[in-house]
Amino acid sequence: MEKILDKKQIDGWVAALTEHPQGVGRGCNAAEAATTTLWEVHTPALDEGIWTYQPANGTARLDHPNTKQSPKEFAFPQREIFFSFEQIKGEAPRLTQIVPKEQRHAVFGVRPCDGRGVPRMDKVFTDHIEDKYYTSRRKNIAYVGLACNKPPSPNCFCLSVGGSPVSSDGLDVQMTDLGDRYFVKAITETGKAMMAAGGKLFADPSAADQKLLKKTHDDAVAYPQRKINDPDGAPAKLRANFDSPLWQEMAQACIGCGICTFLCPTCHCFDINDEVHNKAPLSGQRVRTWDNCQFPDFTMHSSGHNPREGTGARLRQRVNHKFQYFHENFGMHQCTGCGRCVSECPVGIDIVTVVNKVTEHVG
Amino acid sequence: MINIQDIRDTARDMLAKGEARMVIGYRRGTRGMLAEPAFITDPAQADDLVWDPTCFNNLSLYLVHDKKFLAHMRENPKGPVAVVAKGCDARSIVVLLQEHYFKREDVYILGVSCEGAGVVDERKLAPLLNGERPSAAAFDGDDFVFTTAAGEKRLAAREVMADRCLECRAPYPKEHNLVFGEDKTGRQLEAPFAALERFEAQDAGQRWDAWSQHFDRCMRCFACRSVCPMCYCDECVVDSITFPVTAGTTAEEKATRIKWIERSATRSENITYLMTRAMHLAGRCTDCGECERACPVNVPIRMLNNKMEREAREKFGFEPGASIGGPSLVATFLDSDPGQFIR
Repeated sequence: MEKILDKKQIDGWVAALTEHPQGVGRGCNAAEAATTTLWEVHTPALDEGIWTYQPANGTARLDHPNTKQSPKEFAFPQREIFFSFEQIKGEAPRLTQIVPKEQRHAVFGVRPCDGRGVPRMDKVFTDHIEDKYYTSRRKNIAYVGLACNKPPSPNCFCLSVGGSPVSSDGLDVQMTDLGDRYFVKAITETGKAMMAAGGKLFADPSAADQKLLKKTHDDAVAYPQRKINDPDGAPAKLRANFDSPLWQEMAQACIGCGICTFLCPTCHCFDINDEVHNKAPLSGQRVRTWDNCQFPDFTMHSSGHNPREGTGARLRQRVNHKFQYFHENFGMHQCTGCGRCVSECPVGIDIVTVVNKVTEHVG
Repeated sequence: MINIQDIRDTARDMLAKGEARMVIGYRRGTRGMLAEPAFITDPAQADDLVWDPTCFNNLSLYLVHDKKFLAHMRENPKGPVAVVAKGCDARSIVVLLQEHYFKREDVYILGVSCEGAGVVDERKLAPLLNGERPSAAAFDGDDFVFTTAAGEKRLAAREVMADRCLECRAPYPKEHNLVFGEDKTGRQLEAPFAALERFEAQDAGQRWDAWSQHFDRCMRCFACRSVCPMCYCDECVVDSITFPVTAGTTAEEKATRIKWIERSATRSENITYLMTRAMHLAGRCTDCGECERACPVNVPIRMLNNKMEREAREKFGFEPGASIGGPSLVATFLDSDPGQFIR
């Protein structure tokens, strides 16, 4: 389904989605639909100088570069409560599972790199073992993407990692800015239903619209970006350079903070802790939180041994996970080229440079 | 006006003569205009060094890293590390020396005077460049000059300078082995604590609302802690790295070990973390402002430290990092200290 949406009509579409009477989410049955009939719409908004996803409140403002944090938090929140527990002396422990609320979320303004993060996260949380907390959120989320007419960040490199500024991977709907109107294309059945909800707000595209879309997309792809020189050769070369002294050298400035991985659209490592709220009677919650391979205690064993002790080993962990381990497991790079880790690093560690240096290293 | 070639020549000479085993300075990064830390051991690489308004990093942090790394490797190489230090960075080194973190002869301070300018705040710069992406930045008197694809853009330094530099009382590194640039102390552009006082002009309700939002935004990536040379504790209150686990440690002991702060980035935990850090930096923070610059979600962390600094100044006349032999805020008792609270 391909349509044209006048920019003035976008609020109308948001309203139509918010008020849509029938649930149309993925894997949604009638009983679920009865309890969840509305989409909660999220859109990038500028808050304290940073672009974050906020509740739409009736309007979608799509003039953002890219959001500071990726939209991974919708399916994989930084904090997820698994269950609560209580132990009264002399009684059996009581566990209460806490399941994510059935609520549909439509996330607007998702950039193509972040869209491509979605199938990668799906692999991690559904391949072999299904993570029910992830999938129960994921099935209720629709990603409404916005193509990048020009790279929103000076550190964009999606073209180097098999992506494109006009990719629709992982999206339900793809929008392209054509000046005073959007070219809107449904990618999935969910996307079609969402567009159908907008009804007459959408018009059919003319031949001129199609032509302008093609030109916009062609120009977007031609726009210069930063470049990883040999992404295909990276897995083998990273494997060969596992013990290279380059890692320590490149990580010398690393401070071991979590910016790169927390902002990344595909980093998914987590930690599980029991948060004890009361000692007598014992009660609390088991909680999953994001973890971070750059933290000094990431691979800390209870014996005191730490196999990824130095910053060099930890930088290698992050880069190899993106460009070697994930590739070996799933046949694709885990990095989608959004450039957040490059732009936001307080000390200039640059994954594009790191991968290029290692892959060009002989020895 | 600092001539970068002087710094390069000094670095090259020191390395060639074995007067320093490493020079820590700034070099051009690979992502646009920003400088990044450089660790130079080969005299031939001394020409990589740069000095411009993007030399934010407080490099004294890497003296701490170096010491920890050598202790871990059980190495004890000879010769000092030479480090390029702005006024605030040199004061950090003074605090580290006061705390006996390393010896004075272990560090050779290549002081650089900010000469009344300072470093750029990217958050202030971005909206003034209309989407242009600068590839280089340079000092020029009271201006910063940015090179963009559309040509050179000249901006008054005070318009795009970081708040910490606008309020800086000591842009000249008093403690140094060698210094580049002139002492232009006293050219501060805003009153000390100006940003803090602007904030404090609001009523308590407004302040609480603002800070609640800041605390909620914090993701606890710990960039503020990790970028801080004063946060050198082997075990931080938020980690549990050195919790001793033996074969005899029971599951219950592991589960109920004291966790001052949970991993969850929730408001209560974030407050505890940020407040604890602010308290631990009282009398030690030299206002390099790196915590606030590094924060990816714009939490005004510097304001917390400023508040402590102003308190110490008003109550005890204390200036952090003023001199190596000088008093320490929390470890020195003077008869002149105000004592109302222990009567």
